[in-house]
Amino acid sequence: MPDIDFFNFFRWMLSIVATIYATVITLQSLWGWYIWFQGPDKFITLARRYVIVQGLRLRFKTFWGDVIICGLLCIAFLLMWRLHGLIYARAV
Amino acid sequence: MSTPERTTEMKMLPGEPGTSLPAAASAAEIVSATSPVRQLSELPKDELEHLAEEYGLDTSDFKTRQALVAAIHARRQLIASMDRDAMLDVVKWGRRPVTLNATKEQIAQEIARIGSMRFAGLSQRGLVVLAKMRGLNAAETDSIPLLIKRLKRQEGLFSKLNRKRRSFLGSLVSNMIGEETPSEYQFLPPTPNQPLAGQSAPIVAPPHPASLKQEIEESGLIGGIAGRIKKSADSYVNQKLDEIESRIDRKLDEIDRRLGEWRDKEIANRIRILKITLWASVVVGAVSLIYSYIVVNFFTPHRIQPPLQSPAQTTENVRSQ
Repeated sequence: MPDIDFFNFFRWMLSIVATIYATVITLQSLWGWYIWFQGPDKFITLARRYVIVQGLRLRFKTFWGDVIICGLLCIAFLLMWRLHGLIYARAV
Repeated sequence: MSTPERTTEMKMLPGEPGTSLPAAASAAEIVSATSPVRQLSELPKDELEHLAEEYGLDTSDFKTRQALVAAIHARRQLIASMDRDAMLDVVKWGRRPVTLNATKEQIAQEIARIGSMRFAGLSQRGLVVLAKMRGLNAAETDSIPLLIKRLKRQEGLFSKLNRKRRSFLGSLVSNMIGEETPSEYQFLPPTPNQPLAGQSAPIVAPPHPASLKQEIEESGLIGGIAGRIKKSADSYVNQKLDEIESRIDRKLDEIDRRLGEWRDKEIANRIRILKITLWASVVVGAVSLIYSYIVVNFFTPHRIQPPLQSPAQTTENVRSQ
């Protein structure tokens, strides 16, 4: 009988499924917006310029708290990933 | 065998104000134009007459077509030789709506529409220009009284009587409905496709009309009142258009502000979702780390290492095998 670690199986499946799902959804959305903004219509050109202007008007200060937290969480995630590697390296 | 010499003809649009000499061009740059005469002669008679009237010529004075063409050509050359500042003096005095960067021909066409015989406030050079435009022989050195005398003499008896009658009517009407004092003359805003001639003109409102009495004197009772009503209506429409424009601007600002707020909310929302996802990932990662640590350190058989042996014991073991 194969020796299956169910938690290991769960986390691998979760990471694979979640990563693929998020990537596909994000790329689909970005492609849709790209195609829409490439439209030759006068209104689309206006909307494209307006979105660019709105993007340029964005201020980092408005969201800096959340952005910093996200950055720190990413660092924590990478550190834990590294720790996983160290633990398994010790086991071999 | 010699080849015939080919002559190149310069094509010019007749009577087109935009094709005239630039406003800043000096009189020295004026060249005698033969082609326009030929081009003018090709025009239909009604267009020729219209063109002549625009330049202040009386078409009934010219019996033949050639005479009319020659007169238009001569008038054009006369206009080109005039001093532009003097022409602007006349325009200011006559309160005609022109831009500061208007060409000489455009200014001349406006001068030709001035029928006023009240010369007060007009400079000497302006009087010279006006006299020339009304077909009088006027020299640059002529004095103001002389010029005025000639201009008044040019007006016929019946015209004078009619003007007096209109002036009387104008006085009556202006006394009845009241009169506002005319403001200082202002040029029209310059048109975008015409470069400014030397200096920049301020963006201002159209010139304020002359007094009602003067308008009636120039255009008659009905014409004067109609002109005044038209100007009042124009002014009202302009005012309403300005109000509508400012209202639209306010709406656009409001839309822009709301869109900015919506953008900020949307981005904050997305970042919050990202943060929650990252928190979940980190928590799952921490649990996974603890689990891995426990499994590796307490449940993996590879971790049970045999005790270290000395080299002598190792040799003995090999021999026994």
